[in-house]
Amino acid sequence: MSDRLHGHVLVVDDDPVNRLLLRRALEREGLTVEVAVDGGEALVALARGAGFDIVLLDIVMPVLDGFEVLARMRADPATAALPVVVISGSDSSADVVRAIGLGADDVLPKPFDPALLRARLTSGLARKRLADLEREYREQVGYVVDAAAAVERGEFEPGSLDAVAERPDALGVLARVFARMTREVAVREQRLRAQVGALRIEIDEARAARTVAAITETDYFADLQRRAAELRSGPGRQDQENR
Amino acid sequence: MTAIVSVHSFRGGTGKSNTTANVAAVFAGRGLRVGVVDLDILSPGIHVLFGVDQDGLDRHLDGFLWGRYPLRDAVREVTPPGVAGRIWLVPSSVAPHDIARVMAEGYDVGLLGDGVRALAAELELDVLLLDTHPGLNEETLLSIAMSDALAIVLRPDHQDYEGTHVTVSVARKLAVPRTVLVVNKTPESFDPAEVAARVAAAYDTPVAAVVPHSEELMVLSSGGIFVLHHPDHPVAALYGQLADQLLGSAVRA
Repeated sequence: MSDRLHGHVLVVDDDPVNRLLLRRALEREGLTVEVAVDGGEALVALARGAGFDIVLLDIVMPVLDGFEVLARMRADPATAALPVVVISGSDSSADVVRAIGLGADDVLPKPFDPALLRARLTSGLARKRLADLEREYREQVGYVVDAAAAVERGEFEPGSLDAVAERPDALGVLARVFARMTREVAVREQRLRAQVGALRIEIDEARAARTVAAITETDYFADLQRRAAELRSGPGRQDQENR
Repeated sequence: MTAIVSVHSFRGGTGKSNTTANVAAVFAGRGLRVGVVDLDILSPGIHVLFGVDQDGLDRHLDGFLWGRYPLRDAVREVTPPGVAGRIWLVPSSVAPHDIARVMAEGYDVGLLGDGVRALAAELELDVLLLDTHPGLNEETLLSIAMSDALAIVLRPDHQDYEGTHVTVSVARKLAVPRTVLVVNKTPESFDPAEVAARVAAAYDTPVAAVVPHSEELMVLSSGGIFVLHHPDHPVAALYGQLADQLLGSAVRA
């Protein structure tokens, strides 16, 4: 099927028949499913960080009911934005209002209508994907900001922006330009350090003076000194000058 | 009057012969009559740059120094095609037994001075370039003493700094009228103006050119003369600048 859904779903329901029906319906849509038999088990699964994309949550359950699970999820930053569809057998509009008030994204009545469930799942998963992208974007903006601070501290690691630089959007361009410029600056600094080192012209004056003396304090050199002017205007060259 | 120019470096491997050959080509390109004598008798090589095959080096400076023939007989014209002036080269022998004999027996350094001056007159040279042996032996001191201008080639390298200082000091004692420095094989990342300023200040001597370490120079270093192959390259302009400073207004085409 070309319109199969993709995602990882947590089904929370104390009724084994409902769990089975939901699992089958969801797996038919292409989703992977994990189940929890009550609110306590649901929170344990969520705390495990299993990467759920959406939660289907019953209300009336032992240990912890759906309202309590919903309240705790919204209070935890790790699950605050995770889409939750409440599937409730209650006819009470007060329950629906309460569920939405606690942060449920949608409420479906039991028994669920497969088409309606699919529609809710589709929109919920789309919201989750959007939220994931936004979170990733914020994280990666943070990497660039961290990289700028690292440059200032002189601790920038050249590969630290590789993941951000792979993005096809403007943030990716920024990361690529930033990484390239820091590389260029690093190379330039390295070259300048080499230049400064190479051009530090330190001469051992005493040793050089001894070498000069060894060369110049000889009879041969004294003779050359006497004859230098003559050598520069010697007979051959005078001949030319007179041509 | 022939201007005698020595091109020297305290250490080997600075690119001295390349510098000599390029300056010779610049002068000849300006229409001058140029002589080049390979005084690096112990490690000759400039003939290669002028395209002279070492198998044909039957007459050379060594033969003149041992009295076998006059220096004129060791001269060969090496003027490249299309050059307005002329270049003559006196090569040194590359035969191992000749080099060994020089090392073992030496030669009359005075004869060398007389010979090159006579040659300058005979060929009516405008410029005579002496490609010296690294270090400061007797013939190098003689060539510096008889020079109107001296180019000292160095690399921006700690190994060259002290020897260059010694050479500059010796040149001053021999009252060479014009001494310039050539900073050769400079990494391309170095700022040439900064290099020139630092080197000039360290030796209190003008820097005529800061030549970068160029890939093209490397490729052509043993197979040809750079300014002839790349006349429009910025490095060719540096050799022109060096030629200007060596002769000043003394000899101009």
